[in-house]
This record gives sequence, structure tokens and C-alpha cells, in this order.
Amino acid sequence: MQEYVLLMVGAALVNNVILARFLGLCSFMGVTTRLDTAIGMGLATTFVITVSSMLNWGAQEYLLDPYGLGYLRTVVFILVIAAAVQFTEMTVRKVSPPLFQMLGIYLPLITTNCAVLGVALLVVEGKMGLLGATLFGFASSVGYSLVMVIFAGLRERLALADVPRLFAGPPIGFIVASLLALAFMGFSGISTH
Amino acid sequence: MNAEPDDLALDAPPALVEGTARVVALDGDRVWLEPEPRSGCGSCASAGVCGAKGIGTAANRIEARRFPLHDHLGLTVGERVVVGVPENALLKATSAVYAVPLAAALGAGAVAQWAAGSDGVTLAAMIAGLALGMLVARLGAGRLGTRGDLAPRLLRRAAPGETCERD
Repeated sequence: MQEYVLLMVGAALVNNVILARFLGLCSFMGVTTRLDTAIGMGLATTFVITVSSMLNWGAQEYLLDPYGLGYLRTVVFILVIAAAVQFTEMTVRKVSPPLFQMLGIYLPLITTNCAVLGVALLVVEGKMGLLGATLFGFASSVGYSLVMVIFAGLRERLALADVPRLFAGPPIGFIVASLLALAFMGFSGISTH
Repeated sequence: MNAEPDDLALDAPPALVEGTARVVALDGDRVWLEPEPRSGCGSCASAGVCGAKGIGTAANRIEARRFPLHDHLGLTVGERVVVGVPENALLKATSAVYAVPLAAALGAGAVAQWAAGSDGVTLAAMIAGLALGMLVARLGAGRLGTRGDLAPRLLRRAAPGETCERD
């Protein structure tokens, strides 16, 4: 139990996907201009990363390892992620068409989010069991969502601030992101994972 | 006594999440709207026309998401409008669709791992939990839909150059 808690804290805070591993930076800068889009993207990504971690673990354990197809790992993982996104999109559309109209736009963006593939490859590198892999994926994506929401909140406040013209827009966004990364470095004292 | 800003915020109407859409057809007192895709670059108005049409393209996805609304503005085909959905409804919707199935899958997986200790059984339990969670999400979403919480509202005509991204 303690092992799983440490694994999750390490994945969410200490080795944060965005601020420590520098994955998913495109959506980090692109979708954080508004808090609501950041929350929508964060939740959709959490769902897809967790489900694809589970499925990619299955593909690695029951397909790639037994047949010695490790060299196809990246291709297979991309295929599984794309299938998971498509499945999620179809399910949301089936579960509730109005919800699909509101949320469906984030899903295609996730297929090309390198954080999803990055987490799947980290799971293989870590030689985790199924539950460990799924919890690692879930915690990594919770860390991703947390940073997205914090950064979106900061950018909404920055939009009202009197920023010098030279720094307005993305430049001040990058400066704030670097300060946020420094703040997250403080978590490195918690765990060795 | 002067009211504090936070007190004023409590009396304010619920915040709306706004998006832009284009009128594609008129049907009596209703208009059919096509949402403009959101993109990271903020050029949502052009994102829908920059790719080729076909299965799986952005334009094709947008076509599948057309929806009708009561027209109280006297709109014509081709006009761009701003529609809004209550922010708390959006949060409830995202929770219903993503959080419930995920919690069910993780819960089922944890119980299976504790009871059986086999990865194969855990995988099967997680998939079953996910399916069960989807079913619960469907019921929850149906309730939200029945109450009309998820119905978008037609707010105003979009100003020239207005996009879904706020500057």
C-alpha cells in the first residue's frame, strides 16, 4: 500500500509530467489561456492516460514480450492510444450527445499529446505490475491536470495585470512557467521515485 | 455599509463558458449551429476551413456536432454567434463522463488485486469496472440532460474577429 502511495506522489508531484519531464508542453502553453478549457483538457487527458496505461501494459505483457516484438513498442503504443481516444470519443457520444458537443473537441488533441506516449514508455521502463502501471498513469495525469489548472489560473490573472508590452503574452507565460517549475522542484525532497 | 467584492460575487449570475458557432441552416424559429473548433493557437475561426474534408478530418468532426437552438436574434445563414453553457454544468458533465468510470475501474482493479493477486484477473476487473462506470455515467448524464442543464444558450452575435479564445 505504502509503495503505491509513494509511486503516486512521485508521479504526480516529484516527477511531474510537465514541469519535471517536460512532456505535453504544447497543450500546457496552448490550452491554458482559459481555466475551463484547462479543466476539460485535464480531465479528458486523465481518462485517456489511465485507460491507455492499462491497455499498453496488456499489450506489452501479452503481445510484445512473449513474441519478442519489443522493437514495435512505439508503433503499438501509438496504435493503442489512438484506439483508446477513438473509443472514448465514441463512448462519450453514445453516453450523451450534449456532453459530446461540449467535451468532444478535446479528445482528438490528446492523440497527439506526447505525455500519453511518454507515460506508457515510462511504465515499461519501470517494469511495473498492472495495478502499479495504472496508478502510475493515473497519478501522472493528475499531476498534469493540476499543473494545467494552476497555470491557467495564473494566466487568467496575468491577463488583468499590467505587463510591459515586450513581455505580454507568451513571454510572461514562459517566465511564470519557469517559476512554477522552480516551485515544484521543492517536492523533490519528498520521495526518491 | 459597503459590500465586499466576494459578497457581490455570490449574488452574480452563474458564470458561462462561451464558445463561437456558425449558423448553417434555418428551420422555422430554430437555427442549426456548427461549433467552431478550438485550437491552441487561438485561430478557431479559421481552424474549421484549413483542412480537407473527409472521414476523420476536423471539418468532418465539426459537422457531426451540429445542434439546434431557438432563434431570438433573427439570424441568417453564415452569421457567427456566441453560445454559452453554465460553468458548473460543464464541471458536472466532465465529472460524470470521466471521473465516474475511472473511479469504478480503479476501485474494481484494487479490489481484484487484493482478492486474487493476479494481473489477468485485475485487468478483467478493471475493464468490467470501466464498463459499469460508463453505464452509471450514462444514467447521470441522462439526468443532467433531462433537467436541461447541458443545453447551450444563444447569447449574442459574434463581433468581427471574435474567437473562442480570450486574449
